[in-house]
Amino acid sequence: MRFQDAAKDARTVVYAGIQADPLVGHAAGLLADATPAQRVLARAAMNGESVDGGAWKIMFPTLFGVGSAAPGTAERDRSEAILAASLAVADRGEQVRSQFRGAIVEAVTELLLARRVGAAALRRERRILFDGVRAEIHPYDVTVETPGAAEAYDCKWGARGISPDVLHQLDDARRGAEAEGERLLPVLVIFDARRSCEVRLARQTAPRTGTRLVTLETLDRLAGRRAEVAT
Amino acid sequence: MTPTPLLVERIVAALAGLAALGETVEDEWTYVHDLEAVWTARLRAVAAARPPLPTPPDLEPAINRLVEEAGLIGDPHRAIDWLSTLPQATLVALGETAW
Repeated sequence: MRFQDAAKDARTVVYAGIQADPLVGHAAGLLADATPAQRVLARAAMNGESVDGGAWKIMFPTLFGVGSAAPGTAERDRSEAILAASLAVADRGEQVRSQFRGAIVEAVTELLLARRVGAAALRRERRILFDGVRAEIHPYDVTVETPGAAEAYDCKWGARGISPDVLHQLDDARRGAEAEGERLLPVLVIFDARRSCEVRLARQTAPRTGTRLVTLETLDRLAGRRAEVAT
Repeated sequence: MTPTPLLVERIVAALAGLAALGETVEDEWTYVHDLEAVWTARLRAVAAARPPLPTPPDLEPAINRLVEEAGLIGDPHRAIDWLSTLPQATLVALGETAW
């Protein structure tokens, strides 16, 4: 089993520009330290129609209302910053915002993983090659390339991103590693609630038992932290 | 003050609207209605379990604004995403666990 940089085609070059956009890094940094409720705010505002911050503050009273953290506190400041960053993403237009959202989920995943395994073990956009097996076309979003404890991450904005192709590719990688006497943990990171992911998975026949599912509820486990309650 | 179960029914109605839009996406009819069913059940269970106490003054405006936001969604693909997002935002507004 070996890792290799993905080929640089036109799509990859365009997407690399989005991944490098300062807004992606800024939003990811905020969301890596966010509470579950703040992550739900980001999910809603990045995919909503309104770009007026006042409207979103009404919709999330537990973050901005009477009983929420007081203005000037770190938690309130983070809520304000997450809302501003999310609306900046939403303001980019339908096609671009979709790419930004995906890039942000990848960047959050990378940031959280770095807290557990260290940044040096992490790579982006990598393919995994096995002897005698044709390589998959799509690279993995994030890989942990620690010998003997490799991990491959596919990151999706929503539960609808779970497809047979995605599940097969992750399971194929796990089985390919196993066939070579290696260990590879495939992980699907979905910036959505597990309940929605389970609905999506319920009618899928593709293999999933060897793939770990990380959802909004359990995002912090990427960093080795326990999941928090999302209120 | 409007009781929580009635507020939640406004969200359930909004979910139905999103489902009607989302079901127009080819091959997603079942997923859309499964999503609507599980989240509706979750929201109603939360509402039924809450004690009949006065709701916070900013809850009803939050619910109404969430319903309004859902009504602004015109793209079927985004409607499918909102079928998952709207219940989570509602549960956060209610001060409940978002899942």
